[in-house]
Amino acid sequence: MDWINNVQFFTYVGVILSSIGTTLALSLASFSIATIVALLLSFIEIFGPRPLVKAVEWYVKIVRGIPLILALFMFYYGLPRVGFPLPPLYSAIMGIALVDSAYQEQLFKGAIEGVSERQVEAAYAIGLTQWEVFRHVILPQAFRIALPGWINEFSMVLKDSSIAYAIGVTEIFTQAVHVAHVIADYLRPLLIVSLIYLCICYPLSQISSRFHKGLVEMGMMGS
Amino acid sequence: MLNNILYILFNYGSALEVGLRHTIIITVTSYFTGLVVGLLIAVLRVYGGRWIRGVLGILVEIIRGTPMMVQLFFVYYALPEIGLLLNPVAASIIAIAINSAVYQSEYIRASISAIPYSQFESALSIGLTKSRAVLTIILPQAIRVATPALVNEAVYLFKYSSIAYFVTAPELMYIGKFIGSRTFLYVEMYIVLAAIYVATSIVLTELAKVIERRYVIPGLLKSKA
Amino acid sequence: MKVDLLVVEDLWKFYGKEVILKNVNFNVEKGETKVIIGPSGAGKSTLLRCINLLVRPDRGRIVLDGDVITERRDVHNIRSQIGFVFQHFNLFNHLTAIDNVLLGLIKVKRLSREDAMRKAKEALLSVGIAEDLWRKYPAQLSGGQQQRVAIARAIAMDPKIILFDEPTSALDPELIWEVLNVMEKLSRNGMTMIVVTHELGFAIKVAHEVMFMDGGTIIEKGLPEQILLNPRSERVRRFMERMWYLYSMDRKFWRSENAK
Ligand SMILES: Nc1ncnc2c1ncn2[C@@H]1O[C@H](COP(=O)(O)OP(=O)(O)OP(=O)(O)O)[C@@H](O)[C@H]1O
Ligand SMILES: [Mg+2]
Repeated sequence: MDWINNVQFFTYVGVILSSIGTTLALSLASFSIATIVALLLSFIEIFGPRPLVKAVEWYVKIVRGIPLILALFMFYYGLPRVGFPLPPLYSAIMGIALVDSAYQEQLFKGAIEGVSERQVEAAYAIGLTQWEVFRHVILPQAFRIALPGWINEFSMVLKDSSIAYAIGVTEIFTQAVHVAHVIADYLRPLLIVSLIYLCICYPLSQISSRFHKGLVEMGMMGS
Repeated sequence: MLNNILYILFNYGSALEVGLRHTIIITVTSYFTGLVVGLLIAVLRVYGGRWIRGVLGILVEIIRGTPMMVQLFFVYYALPEIGLLLNPVAASIIAIAINSAVYQSEYIRASISAIPYSQFESALSIGLTKSRAVLTIILPQAIRVATPALVNEAVYLFKYSSIAYFVTAPELMYIGKFIGSRTFLYVEMYIVLAAIYVATSIVLTELAKVIERRYVIPGLLKSKA
Repeated sequence: MKVDLLVVEDLWKFYGKEVILKNVNFNVEKGETKVIIGPSGAGKSTLLRCINLLVRPDRGRIVLDGDVITERRDVHNIRSQIGFVFQHFNLFNHLTAIDNVLLGLIKVKRLSREDAMRKAKEALLSVGIAEDLWRKYPAQLSGGQQQRVAIARAIAMDPKIILFDEPTSALDPELIWEVLNVMEKLSRNGMTMIVVTHELGFAIKVAHEVMFMDGGTIIEKGLPEQILLNPRSERVRRFMERMWYLYSMDRKFWRSENAK
């Protein structure tokens, strides 16, 4: 195979890379929205009144069951039916944010609940109020506990953004498929796009496991 | 709206059934293939030689670092270029199984390392060989520790198998889209699909809790500092 | 004149239908060190948790320095006047040693940063934690060091009383000594303390009174020598015999050494 030396190869790389902005915008936007929603929901599930807790539980149960493709279709084809058409990119952002909010909610809830009972008891024992215990002991520890998973979750969203291909968002995967159609060869575009995903996901996964290791060493988490 | 939903269920019920059957076939086959391969990868990555560990490590990072979509397209569209032509269902099963094997191997590997080394030592001390110690002492514990994650993976695959839609495998999503295009009742169709996926995943999750409760080892790895 | 700093009257605690504490009564004088001994499940931890209101008693009164704390609603204010030292140290994992001490001083006592700093350093030095350890995280300290930081965290708050719940039972033998040493010094300097411990040497040497708990109530109390060497009740005598066997100490040795 001599295509590494092929000038055309680099043209493909360029074409595919030209859509990296869309991929990043799509991932970052949906991920941030999901984080905000998930934070709110997890606080409600842990500290809220009973009926709201039940509501959040059902939200998570239902949303976790919906395949991402279906979520995208629902936003893209469903919203126009109720008179609220959204362009593909925005539909994709909403769809991914919706599905990911359920996953992040569980991550945050688990982190808050993962703060050791003993830490909380010691905090009360020095005379902190409920809010202060939350603010100075639970929150900082829960943040550190959630961090590795949160970083991994971003990788998940980044990779899942390729499903936006289903509704024609031209992110890098869609672009790779387009190139494949044009040159009638899937192998090269797929390798290129894989490499791009790897270049982002691999460092993130390394950072995540560094944080995780730190947590274990600080005694905030079993190995 | 309700009329339309009933219309779909009435006229296309058997088509949906076919779709559901394929979804289940793809999910179950790829999940269990993934479990077996994942177990193998995990054990080799913990107890294997340097080379095996290195190669598997790279493989795992590559699969984890790329979307399942890319893997699916690779199997279905790129493999024919090197002479391996697969039908849509087979391609989906292979792609999903590979992806799942890697994730499941990570869950199992994490739980193997969560089993204290003293367990291994005490297994050796009663005269077991290394491989028997791993098989009879370490793995049974590790699998149980990993059970929640492994079961979650099954629920996840059930809905993620919908990406087989992209390679025209006649599973739920594909059939749904097909019915939608025949009847122009897209939204109603999506509601039906969502109901099927959500209901199944809730049932599976509840089932998972029962399994977890049965297999959890009382007190193991529960303590926190 | 002797002043009662802490009065516990007719204290009861239930978990469901199970009685955990029943009719517990005792007083602690200012500057007194009280040791509580008793078998596992006797309710010793529950008693200490009730005193600083981490657990709400179901019946009875606790009076701290003239203040009926069981009737107070601002429990955090009460807790800030009572130190608590846990079996497993319970230092805040995300904070350095000195920040562990500072948290209460700044957030509860609302001291200025400098004042808090001065107090924290003083407390850490008094338990023998030198400057090179101040910026270390709990996970980087030995068990004995962690427990001494935990004691510093308690004393820095200028509590009226400190409660110790088996402070040395999670420690290796050679680390036990350094912690007991700090506690002994604290007691000699006039701190009022209640200590749940099985360290008989400490009890004999430091305690002003020993109380023996079983089945959720105090079944015997008296001078350390009397409870540890000459208990009246059969139950206590059996327990103490086993304890002495475990510590393999010669009872006669203690009797002669400590005879007043
Ligand atoms: N939160 C709780 N819920 C139910 N029962 C409890 C709770 N906390 C303690 N108990 C029960 O109360 C009894 C007394 O417990 P406690 O921890 O006070 O005993 P202890 O004397 O400190 O024993 P140990 O020496 O083991 O620390 C035990 O039977 C225990 O099972
Ligand atoms: Mg106890």
